[in-house]
Formats: sequence, C-alpha cells, structure tokens
Amino acid sequence: MSFLHPWALAGLLAAAVPILLHLIQRREPPTVMFPAVRYLIDATREHQRRLRVRHWLLLAIRTLLLVALVLAAAGPLIARPGVASHAPAALVLVLDNSASSAAISGGTRRLDDLVRAADGALARATPNDALWLLAADGVPRRGDAATLRTMVKQVMPSARRLDLGEAVVTASRVLSGEKRPGEVLLLSDVQATALGPATVAVPLTVGRPRGEPPRNAGIASLDVGPQPWSVDGGRVAVTLAGDSGVQSAITVRLGDRPPREALATVGDAVTLAVPPAAPGWRVLAADLTGDELRLDDRRVAAVRVAPVARADCAPGGRYALAACDVLASNGRLAAGGDVRLGGFGASASIILPPDDAAAVGALNRELERRGVPWRFGAPGPAGVSDSGALLGGTRVMRRLRLESTGSGRSGVLASINRDPWLVRSGPVLLLGSRLEPEWTDLPITAGFMRFVDQLLNRLARGELVALDAAPGDPVAVPDVADAVAQGERRVSVEGGAHYVPADTGVQFLLSGNDTVGVLTVNLDARESRLAPATDRQLRELWQGVRIVDLERAPAQAFANAARGDLTSAFLWLALLLGISEIGLASWWKRA
Amino acid sequence: MLRTDVTQGRARLDLLDPVDVARLGGLEVTTEGVVEGFLTGLHRSPRRGFSVEFAEHRMYQPGDELRYVDWKMLARSDRLYVKQFEEETNLRAMVVCDASRSMAWSGAPEQALTKLEYAQRLIAALTLVLLRQRDATGLIVFDEAVRSVTPPRARLGQWRQIVEKLSGLEAGAGTAAEPALRRVVNQLRRRGLVVFVSDLLLERDLAMTALRFLRHRGHQVIVLHLMDPAEVALSGPAEARFEDPETGRAVVIRPRDWASAYDETVRGAVSDWRAACRRSGIGYHRIVTDTPFGQTLRTVLSPRGGA
Repeated sequence: MSFLHPWALAGLLAAAVPILLHLIQRREPPTVMFPAVRYLIDATREHQRRLRVRHWLLLAIRTLLLVALVLAAAGPLIARPGVASHAPAALVLVLDNSASSAAISGGTRRLDDLVRAADGALARATPNDALWLLAADGVPRRGDAATLRTMVKQVMPSARRLDLGEAVVTASRVLSGEKRPGEVLLLSDVQATALGPATVAVPLTVGRPRGEPPRNAGIASLDVGPQPWSVDGGRVAVTLAGDSGVQSAITVRLGDRPPREALATVGDAVTLAVPPAAPGWRVLAADLTGDELRLDDRRVAAVRVAPVARADCAPGGRYALAACDVLASNGRLAAGGDVRLGGFGASASIILPPDDAAAVGALNRELERRGVPWRFGAPGPAGVSDSGALLGGTRVMRRLRLESTGSGRSGVLASINRDPWLVRSGPVLLLGSRLEPEWTDLPITAGFMRFVDQLLNRLARGELVALDAAPGDPVAVPDVADAVAQGERRVSVEGGAHYVPADTGVQFLLSGNDTVGVLTVNLDARESRLAPATDRQLRELWQGVRIVDLERAPAQAFANAARGDLTSAFLWLALLLGISEIGLASWWKRA
Repeated sequence: MLRTDVTQGRARLDLLDPVDVARLGGLEVTTEGVVEGFLTGLHRSPRRGFSVEFAEHRMYQPGDELRYVDWKMLARSDRLYVKQFEEETNLRAMVVCDASRSMAWSGAPEQALTKLEYAQRLIAALTLVLLRQRDATGLIVFDEAVRSVTPPRARLGQWRQIVEKLSGLEAGAGTAAEPALRRVVNQLRRRGLVVFVSDLLLERDLAMTALRFLRHRGHQVIVLHLMDPAEVALSGPAEARFEDPETGRAVVIRPRDWASAYDETVRGAVSDWRAACRRSGIGYHRIVTDTPFGQTLRTVLSPRGGA
C-alpha cells in the first residue's frame, strides 16, 4: 500500500488519544464513603465483565475510527494490476530495435509491432512518472511521455546488436537511484542469440511477439585474406549464417570490377576469385539474394591493392630473414632494397636496436642526422604489448626505450606498458626490441608472419592496420590516427582511444591527410539467426521475469504501481465506525 | 418564617422535610411538634380504646385487691367479681435502634439527615405516640454490641428518658443486630411490639433468624429499613472509589455506568428483605430519609402497618 500524502500519517498519533484518555481515566480516583458498598459489589460482580467488554469495544471502535480517518486523509493506494490508474512510478522501456527487428513477418516489420506496443505503454504514463527509453544504442534516454512517444515513433532498425541481458542490467541500474517504484518493460523479438544472464532488482516484464519468425540467411563473414592484394587480384571467402535451408546466390564485387557470383546455403563457405584491380583502396561488397531480413544480406570489406614490397630482411636477423623468405615464396614480398628491415633502406627503413650497446650512440646520431625525432634510450623493463590492434598481447623481455626528441609523441604504433615500442617518423620505423626470442617472443609465435607482412607491406609504406568491428562495438584506434572518415563524413578521434562505429560500411583511419588504416564495420553475424528464445530459457536466465504477449504488454506497464484509491473505502469505514460508536454508546447508556 | 409558622401553629412538622424539622430545634421539642401534628391529622384519636377503662369481669380469687371488687355485681348477683381494666392489656413495645457507623452517613449532609439522625427523630416520635397511648415502650440501642437498654415503661418520664438516650447517641463501629434482638426477649415477657430500625446493612440471615425468633414468641415485629436518598440512586464523580465506612471494603467504579445495575441490585435487596419478612409475618417498610416523619409514622402505625 502506498499513500498520496504520506505526511498525513503523522495523524496516526491521534489514534493514541482514546488510549491515553483511557489510561488517564485509570488514575486513582477520589474516595467516597458509601455504606452500601455491598450493593455495588453485588452489582459489579454481575456486570463487571460485560462492562469491561463494552469499554474495550468502544475503545477499539474509537481508535479504529481515528485510524480510518487518518488513513483516508493520507490517500491510501493499493496495488491492483489491471486498473487504469497507478502510483507515481519509474519505468525503463527497453525497445529492441536491433538489426533483427527489421525482419518482416506476415507482411509487417517486427519493429513496427514493437513500436506500437511501446507507444501504448508510454500512453499510460502520467506526469508523475519517471520514464526512460533504452534502444539498441544502449543509452538510456529520459524524457516525459510525449517526448519519448515521439522518439519511439522515429526509431528505425539499428545495425547494432542489442545484448538483452546487458540492456536489462543497464535498465536496472538506471532505476537503482529512483525512489519511485521502478520496473523494466522489455519489448523485443527475444532472439535466442541476444540473450544473456542478468540479475534484475526490479520487476521485469517482457513483451514478445508470438508466432514463428521468418527463415533467414545472411552473410556471416567476408574474408579477403592478407593485404595488400597484388594488382593480380585476390580471393575472398564468404560464409553464410542463419536458419534458412534455401540456397542463395552470392554476388561479390570489387569496386567497379565485374562481379563474381556463387550459390551457397547456410553454413557454407564459398571462395571466389576476384579479378585484378588498379592499385589503391578498394571496397569489396558481397551481396546475398534478398530475403525477409535485408540488413544482413550485404557485407563489405576494404582491400588494398598494391605491388608487394621489395624488401631486404637480412640485417634484421635470422628470424626476420626466414619470415621474409616465406612471404616471398607466397608472393607477399619481392627481393629488393626499397624497404630494409634492420637498417636504412632506399625508401623505407625499419631500425632495430643494435646487438652491441656501444653502437646505440652512433645509431642515434644517424637518426638525428636524418631528422628522425626519436632515439634509442636506456633499456626498459619487460612487459606485454598493449597495442592489441597490431600485435595483440606480445611479450617483450628486453627492449630499449624509444625516446622522443621532438615535441609530443606522435607516430607511436605500438607500446609496452605505455612506453613507445614501435614508432614511425616518415619512412623510418623504430622497433624497441630486436626480432629475436631473447628480446621478445614474437618471432616464435604464429602471428610473426602476419606482423612482418604488415611491417613491410603496410607500415613501412605508410599504411597502418585493418580493423573489423560491428556497429556499436568499441574499437581501439591506433595512436597515429586522428580522424575516421566514411564517405564524406569525417569524425575526429583521439589516437589510442576507443571509437564506436554506428553504421556498417568501410571507414578509413586518417592521420592528417594520410590514410593510416581501415575499419570495416559489418553486422554482427548473430543477428542473422532469428530463432527466438523460449519462455523457459528466459525464466532460467532472468529470475522472476513476467512474460506476456506483445499485444498485452502495454497494459502491463506500470502494473507494479497500479493502485486503487482506498480513500472512499476508509471514509465509509470511518462513517460506519462512527455510527456504531454512537449507537452502541447510546444503547448501553439507555440499558 | 418556618419557625414562626410552627410557633403559631400554622405549620405541621410531621409533613415538613426532616432536615427542616431538625433545624427547628432539639429532639424533644421538634418531636412533640411532629407527634402533635401527626395526631391532629388523624380523624379519630388513637387514645380511644387505649384509655384505662374497664375491660371484663372475672371471679374473685383470694388475694385480689378489694378495691377492684365490683360491688354492683355483688348486689345484683350475690357473686364476687373483680374488674379487670384495659391498662392490663396495654401494648408493650421495644424499639431496637441500629447505631452502627453506616447509620451515621448522609449522601448530602447539607440536604439530608444521616440515617441515624433520622432514626433518632423517628424513634422519638414513635415512642411518644406509643407512650401517649399508655403503651409501655422501651429502647435498645446497638452497634457492634448492645449499647444501651431502656426497659419498657408506661410512666410519664419514660419518654424523656428515651429522648435522653437518643440525644446522646453516637455512631459505633460495626453492626451486630442479633444480640440486640435477642435482648428484646428479656424485656418483653408478654407479647408485644418490636420495631427494628436499621439500614439493614448487616448479615441478613442472622438478623432474620433473630426476627423470626421474636415473631415466634408472639411479638408483632416491624422492620423499618432506612435508606439515604444517595443509597437509592447512585451518583457521584465520573469515577470514584466507593468505600464502606464499616468494613473498609471498596470498589472503583464509574457511577454513571453502574447506576442502572446498582438500582437493580438495591431493588433486589429490598425485595428480598420484604419477601423474607412477609414469609415470617414481619412488617417491612423501606423508608428513605427525606420522607416527612408524619408520613413515616402514618405508615408504621396504620392498621396494616404491622404484619
């Protein structure tokens, strides 16, 4: 039970008045000499019990009368699901507009049904309610009912995936600071792949559409292999995901080059040869035959087409030389002196710490002479690479510190314990450790080949990294990047920080006017599997959840705060008690 | 004004409020006034038939006084008869007065006599009436014990002696009626009248046993049950501790709540007394102490006043 005017409950102290009067009247009364006490004793012996019952009954009636009046003044409200009115409440409406909501079922887009239900729920809100809207972007937005209803009607299917467990936890946290009784209403197609465990401290209601979702197939991955591609073209692997058993046609197109097509079913991985293209960045797109969910029928990738580097790896040591030999045998390198690993080359240089510590000074002077604002310093402590985008967690046992001789520390490509470990200044790259196992375990890991490939073909030639992400996923931006561009849109970013792409597509990482990397953003493949979770799965994951059909969901909003006004009932009770008191007192007095 | 009316014979004290009567003077004076008024109100003087006059003849027996020989009968019938006079059949009455502590109580001292004060005046008036009828009248006063015994006499000074006893009366502590009633037997060797004046706040069984004993001895017994108006209708503060001055027993009640039950109980007690007395041929009168003395006397002395 709740109260509109809880301060009025202070009046309950008045209920003590009859009791106090009763106690006061029980004080030692005056003594009266009265010879006929024997008659009084006889009379009281006979009637004492009856009178005591009368006294206590009247006391109880009077006390209850005051309590009823005070409660009526306080505006008592009682929880009664189904009634139109409700006490001031806090509601977080989670609207699942993830990519799967764009699926069309029975001629209607799933999201439209969800939006209709959300609008109906918000229509039941009162000005005293606190309201939040949480969509696939994961940001709780607070507003009044009118504002949120407008926002809801403008919601479109998002390319983002919404983890329902995280969304529910976020909603619960939003309500944790709210004094009003809170609840979460989740409107979703409840994809099984979107579920996650959650412990919710507030009542949770899930409104879900009934009926089977459409069968769907989507492109789960588009692998373009090592880059850059040579001008001779390359090969791509396409994998399908979903729950459709129907064979679909895949079309792969690189820029304006003629497309390549193939047939595949869900679970298949199809490899296609892509025709040669001119050097430069190219966007590769794979499309699938249209079905009930269009958002996952297209996937893109960025392809760098360029001649392979002509490199000299001998100065880099035997591990580097062995890696270069393997790359050369795969057509990823060519012998030459354009890029030198372990010394100064004709066009690009990758400088490693000298074996002999006495040679560090001469090397630093050469770097200074070439205008490189970096130098090798004293040995630094061991650590693990924290530049995941490039190296992952590479262990470094021995290194020399890389010290900037200019202002700032621009050009850091990788770091160890936040100390620069791989830096670039123009065509010169400095690596803090030699590529030998006693310096770092990188040469004896599986990623060494890829690292050397990137080092020679991309980093030394000015390109940086190729990153993959899904909309909404935070991406660690390389230190050198200062902006992200997609088409005409350009977003400033801070190197080393995280960037969250909102839309699918190919985005380029820029450092000034130079392209230093590419970020490919595609739909999360889990969105392609539309199979819903069962009610049992929901109840196992979310204790106490109430699951209703989507059509009934609006009526369930504010159900936990739904109340009936008991003021009239208490007033009637007070009236009844008053009449009883007067009637009984008069009757007994006459009797 | 009232005193003037009394002295000028315009007011009848027997019809006045007992408090007003008490204010007029001492016990002796006011009682005479009450009795005079009472007798004046009777259409037929009670003296008739009570005077010392001839009653019957009986045969002379040796030892009889010669002055009572009826010489006329001797002349007519040549037999010796002696005259027997009414005086020899006159009533012998004993008034038994309860002077316990409960009798010395008035619910409104300014407005009503205590039961004992009322009893004093009533007994004084009653004995005066009886003595004027040449009835030998005595008085026994008791509280927790027999306090005084005035044997029944018909002589002129008897009333003053009774009044003297009554005037000096002070309330005692407890109540023990049975010994006092049994003392009556010693004082009334012939059948007579016993008037028991009490508030009856005593052990009823013991008292009734004694009263029945007197009745069985042939006495006419009248019980005058004195009650204060405040004992008839319960009143008092909102809540009070009512304490018996004799026994010290107490009860805390709200008079307003208990008035009805108390009234019912008192009625029951009176009814029980009346029924018990009727069963034993004993006259019973409940007298509230605000009743004018004349009215009480009329009730007691009426032909149906006894049993």
